[in-house]
Amino acid sequence: MAAAISHPENLAKPSWNPLRCAGTALPANLLVMAKTIAIALLLTNHVKLLPRPFLPFLPWLDRIPGIVFQDTLRVAFLVSAVALLFNRSVRLSSFLLGMTMLAGVVASKAYYGNNKTFTGLILVLTGLYEPKRGPWLLRLQLVVVYFGAGLNKVLDPDWRTGVFFSNWAVNRLHQAAYLYLASFVPSVLLAQIMSWFTIVTELSLSGIFLVRRLFPLGIWLSILLHSGMVFFTGSTFTMFFYAMTASMLVFISWPESPLTVIYDGDCGFCTRTKQWFERFDLDGLFHWRTYASEAGIASGIFAHDAAQRVYLIDGARIYAGFRAFRMLVLYNPISYLLVYALVASEGRDGSKLREVTIGLLLLVFSPLFTPIGEAMYRWIARNRYRLSAQPTCRVD
Amino acid sequence: MRTMSVRSGVGLALLLFQVAMIVHARFVPSRYFCWALYDVQTEYSLRVEINRRELSAQEILARYHRPQHGNDNRSPQHVIDILQGYEETYGKNDHAAVEMRYRVNGKQEQIWRWPQQ
Repeated sequence: MAAAISHPENLAKPSWNPLRCAGTALPANLLVMAKTIAIALLLTNHVKLLPRPFLPFLPWLDRIPGIVFQDTLRVAFLVSAVALLFNRSVRLSSFLLGMTMLAGVVASKAYYGNNKTFTGLILVLTGLYEPKRGPWLLRLQLVVVYFGAGLNKVLDPDWRTGVFFSNWAVNRLHQAAYLYLASFVPSVLLAQIMSWFTIVTELSLSGIFLVRRLFPLGIWLSILLHSGMVFFTGSTFTMFFYAMTASMLVFISWPESPLTVIYDGDCGFCTRTKQWFERFDLDGLFHWRTYASEAGIASGIFAHDAAQRVYLIDGARIYAGFRAFRMLVLYNPISYLLVYALVASEGRDGSKLREVTIGLLLLVFSPLFTPIGEAMYRWIARNRYRLSAQPTCRVD
Repeated sequence: MRTMSVRSGVGLALLLFQVAMIVHARFVPSRYFCWALYDVQTEYSLRVEINRRELSAQEILARYHRPQHGNDNRSPQHVIDILQGYEETYGKNDHAAVEMRYRVNGKQEQIWRWPQQ
């Protein structure tokens, strides 16, 4: 039986390598989420925004000398963010990082913002994670956010009638695509369609995230909504885009034991591909086996099938071909850490590189791309011996 | 019977606070901690006088941590809270005269003044 790798009950010694996410007190998916948020916070230089008390929600905070308060927040912020990245006391680090942001929020009405509050809460709730109870607090946090967002909008006449959206898109953003569409559709109607689409999506998401089997739908809807906002406005709304998309990882069932990958060991190209993936599989999540080893038989994968395409066995789920490669990427923490680092390093609003990166990722990982991905995979699989440099490859 | 741990209790309290604020927001003009995400566009302009001298844009930014002319993606009450809060506390002895002209979602201009009439 495969050994458990990332379940908190089976803690190995946490690695100092920031690209590794197994063996800590947090499940890998929650740690990846917290780390991506920490990366975005560090790369967007959020530490400089942490405030001194200014018209605080809790008046007694005004009694603390401003410089002492601000410097304490900044030191705690940096230490906890770095500790989190290096897998040190991950729950405490996540809790502290979140608390520095929440402390800033309650200490200053000028710093207050939904994006900072949400980011702080996600990190604090990650710090409060308990292995036996799962991430229920984090999931409920998403439900509350979407419910509040949808309710506020649906009860606002300016949202129901499209007045907000029309003013925002036309006068504030001068949104080119919106203005183009408005030349075909009556402006009021277009604004109402966009408003109600947002309201219905937000309220639906609050319900969807209460039903486990609807989680995949919710993840896609949420990511599309927030990516759409980036395309529409050119803005990540400070931390909101990063924290919201990263928090979708709380709805993922991350593998708790190694997954078996069945591949063609007679093919040099396949072996090189395997070696490449293994080099980046720092948590040792994937165990590669040749189809000749008959490792797939228990899962109903016989030599004839495995000679045609690669298989990934994830418990009862079996992914083949392009889908298997997609899961190899999605189950690797490095994918998330690198993508968020790339996107967050483009700090300024309106970055085309950021929009292109998000757009390409959405395209490649969307179900719509699967047929194209499969076709590309079949072509490579058919030609894999030609692509191999090894003359000893067997030809089926 | 399963008892709730301190961790779960703290987390649940945070969530319940937010639910309470969502309800509270239905009865007040401000929208704090209730997830009113990008709900209102407030376009405003400030004019501030102290001892009959008009403050510059830099002085206004330093005083209120808000630009003289700005767009806030939330209720105008949040800007008003900052102006009023400052004049009632830190700036109490300055006897400033503040005028905020603002539009909500591009609609008719409104004016808020301090001291209030």
